[in-house]
Amino acid sequence: MRSNYRRHFLYAGILVVVFTLVIQWILDLSLPLPAIQGSAQSAAIDNLIGQHVWLIAGAGALVLVIMGYSIVVFRARPGEEDEEGDYVHGHAGLEIAWTVIPLIVVTIYGVIGVQVLAQVTAPQDNEMTVEVEGLQWSWRFAYPEHGEFQTVEMVVPVNQPLLLSMTAVDVLHSFWVVEWRVKQDLVPGITTELRVTPTEVGEFQLRCAELCGLRHAYMLADVRVVSQEDFDAWIEEQLE
Amino acid sequence: MLMQLGLTRGLIYQAAGTGLGMVVTMVWRLLAGMDLWDQEVVFVVGGLVGGFAFMWGVGAIDDWLEWCRGKPTPLVHGPPRDKPAWTRYFSTDYNHKVIGIQYSVTSLLMLMIGGSFALIFRAELAQADLQFLGMGMYNKLIGLHGWAVIAAILLGVGGMANYLVPLMIGAEDMAFPRLNAFAFWINVPGGLLLLASAFLGGFDAGWTAYPPLSTQGAVGYQFLFLAIYFVGLSSILGSLNLLVTILTMRPKGMDLFRIPIFCWAVLATSLIQLTATQAIGTAFLMGLSERALGMGFFDPEGGGNPILFQHIFWFYSHPAVYVFVLPGLGIISELLPVFSRKPLFGYRWIALSSLAIALVGFLVWGHHMFTSGYSQYLRVPFMISTLLVAVPTGVKFFSWVATMWGGRLRFPTPMLFTLGAISVFLLGGLTGPILATVASDLYLHDTYFVVGHFHATLFGGFVFPFCAAIYFWFPKITGRMYNEALGKLHFYIMTPAFWLMSIGQMTVGTMGMRRRIVDYDPTLGGGLIEARHLETTIAAFLIGLSILIMIYNLVTSAEIGVRAPANPWRSRSPEWQIPSPVPEHSFAAPLQVVGEPYDYGLEEEYVVMDESQADHAHAAH
Repeated sequence: MRSNYRRHFLYAGILVVVFTLVIQWILDLSLPLPAIQGSAQSAAIDNLIGQHVWLIAGAGALVLVIMGYSIVVFRARPGEEDEEGDYVHGHAGLEIAWTVIPLIVVTIYGVIGVQVLAQVTAPQDNEMTVEVEGLQWSWRFAYPEHGEFQTVEMVVPVNQPLLLSMTAVDVLHSFWVVEWRVKQDLVPGITTELRVTPTEVGEFQLRCAELCGLRHAYMLADVRVVSQEDFDAWIEEQLE
Repeated sequence: MLMQLGLTRGLIYQAAGTGLGMVVTMVWRLLAGMDLWDQEVVFVVGGLVGGFAFMWGVGAIDDWLEWCRGKPTPLVHGPPRDKPAWTRYFSTDYNHKVIGIQYSVTSLLMLMIGGSFALIFRAELAQADLQFLGMGMYNKLIGLHGWAVIAAILLGVGGMANYLVPLMIGAEDMAFPRLNAFAFWINVPGGLLLLASAFLGGFDAGWTAYPPLSTQGAVGYQFLFLAIYFVGLSSILGSLNLLVTILTMRPKGMDLFRIPIFCWAVLATSLIQLTATQAIGTAFLMGLSERALGMGFFDPEGGGNPILFQHIFWFYSHPAVYVFVLPGLGIISELLPVFSRKPLFGYRWIALSSLAIALVGFLVWGHHMFTSGYSQYLRVPFMISTLLVAVPTGVKFFSWVATMWGGRLRFPTPMLFTLGAISVFLLGGLTGPILATVASDLYLHDTYFVVGHFHATLFGGFVFPFCAAIYFWFPKITGRMYNEALGKLHFYIMTPAFWLMSIGQMTVGTMGMRRRIVDYDPTLGGGLIEARHLETTIAAFLIGLSILIMIYNLVTSAEIGVRAPANPWRSRSPEWQIPSPVPEHSFAAPLQVVGEPYDYGLEEEYVVMDESQADHAHAAH
């Protein structure tokens, strides 16, 4: 063997830690989530994405550092053109380790994933139903608990858990408000459901996230999250 | 001269066959008392008859027709006697090396066509708002880009497997040479139908062609469905051939754990292709008959369910991703030991991890459908099964870097592309779990993040390894070396450009940009989204430029490159122990396996030719 592996492992190990932090920092800059966390679901999902970014940074650093370290340290230098590398076939212990450890890591991430999924889809006691209908290339909303009317903008009270009961008239569509994070397809002939609790007052945009034909890019609707009083007033207005 | 080429005859037959099929359908309709013109039925029958007419014209079924007539059909070796040697590449030829080249060159051609479609809409996306591309055109180009490059990838996989597998196991040819030629040529009418669909209104639902949108669109969908039917037939027949070849034609002493590792990748790939391709065939056949015959498979009004299509579609199309990348990962495993001068670390683990990926790959299709509206409880098992794919994939990565560790690394162009492939596939692989996890996918699904993820996966798993393979085996194929400076220029343009493009796509995705939209909200990402798009577009054009540099390099080097020695890389693999270019009958004598394939650092050979059997081998020809 050319060199003392223990020393190389130490250096590479330090570099892996350093690069994990560097890559995590780069990814945080490269993968900017929308500043507004507009729903109760947003923070949980953003945290989950943040945890996955650490996984990407750590595993990425591990492979890239060992690769980069080998490129620099174990390259054939001038005069070594005919030299061969160390004769190492494999190492059963290492192979088992890098099968079992990733298995444990993905299991942990799986468990976290299940918990967050349960959290963001959990039914609430006081849900308000909004019926959403998607059609090429517009949206319609109905509020069955408040009366018989349909709107083209979606107005909901802040901090009110919503149960969106959705269907499509013609082709597939998908309900997505970026600030709310969660997304659900609308399917002709089937009613799909999405639970979301808006937590930020403001004006947002609903965008269709499933290719639905010519004007798909422009299949938008205004979404207004307002205070309960403003919502009650708006309902009165609709009923008149 | 032109008329002597099988390709020309095939094209004429296809045009005539298509016309004939259409006319017969119309006459039949007339006789049956129906309206003369029903474009769905007429074009389907025309396209189908035209495709098989091509196969007749090109001569791919000549021998089988002779068999039916009871005539002997000995395999003819070498270039055609009465025509120039180059014509064999444009006609039916049974030599696996010729077929491998046919596959690979067609792949590069399709890759450039498909890539050009992307450059068109990438230019449109450089700025928000609509510039030069209409909404309808954009929606058609994305699907066409998708299927053209998928066809290119399948062709490239076929090219590498057909050229390399028999050489690597010391076989005279593939198990079924005629089937091999048929499996290649069926791609040509398939590819033509795919491109021709653009002239029949195209298909505007993306490459996934989800109904009900796809059942309402132009008749171009029918040509898409037929095209994929032909290309899929090629996959099934080609994989059958490769499986039989690898399993039955190895020389004495080459047990399954002593075959070159690329063959393991092909074995796993072929298992998927042989068993999963039928699903996309089914999905598209159902789409085709829903449109042409009014069968309501996916239409709720007719008792159907649109989500059913997604299940069948992804039952193929997810495993297909592993068809696209496993051979490329095999190339990485193949090249690393050669340029690290060190045995492949954990051969058996790498070999079996390919099989593991192939098998787990069948259980994960539902992760494409987390937001589709299928039963909510199904999302958890699909999340878990998908996360498990990380385990065998991790084994590959760790074994690769362990192969490099302690080696004596050299960096000619093929090695550079191998390293580039690892880094890019790493980006693609690591962005997988975040999409496999349901809650984060509820945000990221159908965003540009997904676009970045799968482009990294397919560039790292196919495009980079394919380039590595082309440069690596170019001397073996042509007998000449490629231009090293141009090869490195290609690498140093394409790699940073790809990283910029892929991360740019992921960036706009997390900012909240949906995929498959012609226009985006410029205020996303705090107003930074346009700058990211401009960078991504520039990067995409740089990738296109670098591919042109490669094509120039290959074409000129084949003419004026330095003569290549038999084994410029000092590889232990069988194909490097025979002259460059490979003679018509690859091996002068049967191989005998006397060592391990990747024992770099040891004196013992992997294979030797059994000269005492040389006469016997030639007698068998």
